[in-house]
Amino acid sequence: MSYLEYNVKTVPTGLKKVLYLNWPVVVLLAAVCSVGFLMLYSVAGGTLSTWAEPQMKRFALGLAVMFAIAMVPIWFWRNMAGLAYGISLLLLLYVEFFGSVGMGAQRWINLGFMRLQPSELMKITLVMILAAYYDWLDIKKVSRPLYVAIPVVLILVPTALVLRQPDLGTSVLLLVGGATVMFLAGVSWWYFGAVLAMVGGLIFAVFHFRGTPYQLLKDYQYRRIDTFLDPSSDPLGAGYHITQSKIALGSGGWTGRGFMQGTQSRLNFLPEKHTDFIFTTLAEEFGFVGGMTLLALYTLILLFCVASALSNRDRFSSLLTLGIATTFFLFFAVNMSMVMGLAPVVGVPLPLVSYGGSAMLVLLAAFGLVQSAHVHRPR
Amino acid sequence: MTRIPLRPLARILQAREKGENPDAIEKENIRQRHEEMRDKARRRAEGRLLVLGVAFVCAFAVVGLRMGAIAASEPREPRAAASGSEILAQRSDIVDRNGKVLATNLFTHSLYAQPPVMIDKERAARELVKIFPDLKEERLVKDFTGKRKFLWIKKKISPEQMQAVHDIGDPGLMFGPREMRLYPNGRLAAHILGGASFGREGVHSAEVVGVAGVEKVFDDYLRDPANEGAPLQLSIDLTVQAAMRHVLEGGMKLMQAKGATGIILDVHTGEIMAMASLPDFDPNNRPRPAVEGAASDSPLFNRAVQGLYELGSTFKIFTVAQAMEEGLVNPSTMVDTKGPMTWGRFRIRDFKNYGPELSVTDVIVKSSNIGTARMALMVGTPRQQDFMKKLGFFDPTEVELVEAPGAKPLLPKKWSDISTMTISYGHGLSASPLHLAAAYASVLNGGTRITPTILRQEGPQRGERVVSEQTSAALRDMLRQVVVRGTASFGEVPGYFVGGKTGTADKPKENGGGYYKDRVIATFASVFPTNDPKYVVIVTLDEPKTHALGEERRTAGWTAVPVAAELIERTAPLLGVRPQIAPLPEVGITLTSN
Repeated sequence: MSYLEYNVKTVPTGLKKVLYLNWPVVVLLAAVCSVGFLMLYSVAGGTLSTWAEPQMKRFALGLAVMFAIAMVPIWFWRNMAGLAYGISLLLLLYVEFFGSVGMGAQRWINLGFMRLQPSELMKITLVMILAAYYDWLDIKKVSRPLYVAIPVVLILVPTALVLRQPDLGTSVLLLVGGATVMFLAGVSWWYFGAVLAMVGGLIFAVFHFRGTPYQLLKDYQYRRIDTFLDPSSDPLGAGYHITQSKIALGSGGWTGRGFMQGTQSRLNFLPEKHTDFIFTTLAEEFGFVGGMTLLALYTLILLFCVASALSNRDRFSSLLTLGIATTFFLFFAVNMSMVMGLAPVVGVPLPLVSYGGSAMLVLLAAFGLVQSAHVHRPR
Repeated sequence: MTRIPLRPLARILQAREKGENPDAIEKENIRQRHEEMRDKARRRAEGRLLVLGVAFVCAFAVVGLRMGAIAASEPREPRAAASGSEILAQRSDIVDRNGKVLATNLFTHSLYAQPPVMIDKERAARELVKIFPDLKEERLVKDFTGKRKFLWIKKKISPEQMQAVHDIGDPGLMFGPREMRLYPNGRLAAHILGGASFGREGVHSAEVVGVAGVEKVFDDYLRDPANEGAPLQLSIDLTVQAAMRHVLEGGMKLMQAKGATGIILDVHTGEIMAMASLPDFDPNNRPRPAVEGAASDSPLFNRAVQGLYELGSTFKIFTVAQAMEEGLVNPSTMVDTKGPMTWGRFRIRDFKNYGPELSVTDVIVKSSNIGTARMALMVGTPRQQDFMKKLGFFDPTEVELVEAPGAKPLLPKKWSDISTMTISYGHGLSASPLHLAAAYASVLNGGTRITPTILRQEGPQRGERVVSEQTSAALRDMLRQVVVRGTASFGEVPGYFVGGKTGTADKPKENGGGYYKDRVIATFASVFPTNDPKYVVIVTLDEPKTHALGEERRTAGWTAVPVAAELIERTAPLLGVRPQIAPLPEVGITLTSN
């Protein structure tokens, strides 16, 4: 169903919209962010000003942005999707060319009050344009090769740009997030099956022919893959983070050492203790219980998003909500598996908890879109 | 699928008849069609969402379970002290056949400086020179005050030196961990082990790479982390090696030789029990290759494997072996030894005239060139070539040393009849002492070919047959006769039934054109015990001379043989060979009264 066909008059107007927000999601987001403040306060050794305070300010700003976006009708955002995607792509290109010439290998653009990472922006705008595309596309044409090729190009171009930065984590997020939206939009199983089979075949070939005269990579490349896949073989080199975070998680045990009592993270064993590896601090100080609580908060956010998407009859809103929820899920799933040594270290922050401006602002803006979709859903 | 037309004619006509607005029908139909489509999309989306939901749940479950597993685990520090960089410093030990360490790694530190963070550069330089007297103070001051951000000061330092540098207290002087290769036995087995040096170097570690000998051949194996530090076991026995080096060194001095080589080879397994070449070097501090002088006189040169010499009369046994194997002679066949023997414009002489005829055994015992040459003529060139090839004299030895493939025996360019005759008594074909040891082992162990190896073997080699058991036994008997009553009478070691053949070959002049009259290579190739052969022992002396009975002597019987006898006497008990002493004849005791 498209917006041209339902009665706009049933949508709340003015300040009444505030009442129709998806409040549970707002509360849950605030809770997750608060966990982040606590952890940043602890990691900084009991000082607010190092990391916790800037993070709170950003949260306030992000919350304001979220509400502002939520007030604007969702059809406006759908019409903006193409423009937003275009701008993100231009910014990515700008970083690609001017980042390397003028500012070293930087991934961000300095806006004065904050540094914007176009790759963060791209995570959201990619989901937006894909949702808008499938909203526009006649559902019967979804699986035709030409109409499959268009979103594939839309996904691969920014992925390739981000990969060149190089930022493996974000490119994986873009790729999987985009593919999930295509999957939910109803693209035939065969495409996904074929791609999975090809990737599987390639991996099999690479490893199967290892050691034979037909091997596809050089020996040292295989060795790098080995260290990448099994960092514990090099505990002081590539595996250093993993080893240390496993020690932290292990020493936390079931209930943890208590707030501000963590040693592993506060004694500077981990260089990225306040960003990508902040979960180790949580797990050490609050143990398994604390970790599971955070996991539960994330799960609840996801559940509310999915429920909102299911109750929304508008195709764009529904796809957008699910796409953002998936991206959010990928964020913390990849981060947690990385911290727990299930996945290689690729540099993905823990959403809303890790210290970092761009990521938090962009995520809250994305939840603004989710709220807008919720408020302006056809009734 | 049947589609309902948006404006079904029948219903429109009906509606018109009733006076209703027919457009309402179209609107209603459009609405219905949209609802159908939406429901279909919805059903599909819900199916997809279910799949996604299952994926989410699985991911949560995995993360949760993993968190539980780690929370339940005991925290522990990482065990391995692997390097912090991609440079792998690990290298397996090398041990002898009994597991005694021949080469191992020692953890030390390197010292480097980062001048930008140094506080008092002059004082640091002054103090450093006190600790390391070989450093130059001016040079250090210049380096520290210059533009350099990093410099190595010492590649390896001892713990005491490290503490002293630490006490200087300058933050710009830093230490990096280093693995260094240590050969605790010093010069023993220097040529076999070769040596190692640093490859790629970083602050946190440095690669240790083999540069020669076993270290180089097995470099990949030793450095492969997959072996988890399992040592490389060699065939040599450290105690035998030590005794051999000791005896050889003494013998070399006593015989005023400029070089000496010894090999002890197991005749059944082909294992090299000990192998030494003098002069040698300390692999802990491997010298650089000499710029001047002959490479073959350098301490780095492994005479046993790389040295190609005409090995003289020791070759006669091969000629006899072949003649017997072909059925041309037996040990008591009489051979014409009337000298001098002329062949074309060549003359072959014996050391002294042995009369008109000798038995085959006596040709060996007295070492008659003429008798051997006559037998070689009976065998003929093609068959001789064949036999020498079988014994391995056409190719480099296959021993696992990096130097071995370079030592391909020198064969005559044109193998004429005269070549056949000279080669029959060991001239005109140059081979390494290890070639000789392998060939002796092959004909004397019962007659099957063995390949010499430096790695410990589990059992005897089963090579191709080169001579029959009977021939092999007869040859051992002849060699025993050489020691009992022939040229090698100094070689007798009571109880060990030593048999062997001497060989004294004039050294060819370096610039070609004939031979020196007063420089020889003296070789004794022996086997013991002859009744049950176990080991072949080769001793070769380069330019030996000794005074005995008022004369200057250079022949192997006076030089190499006594050294070999001493060697066998010292090493046989270490090798576990028991002397077989015949009971002493009963001495009648005369009772006297006074």
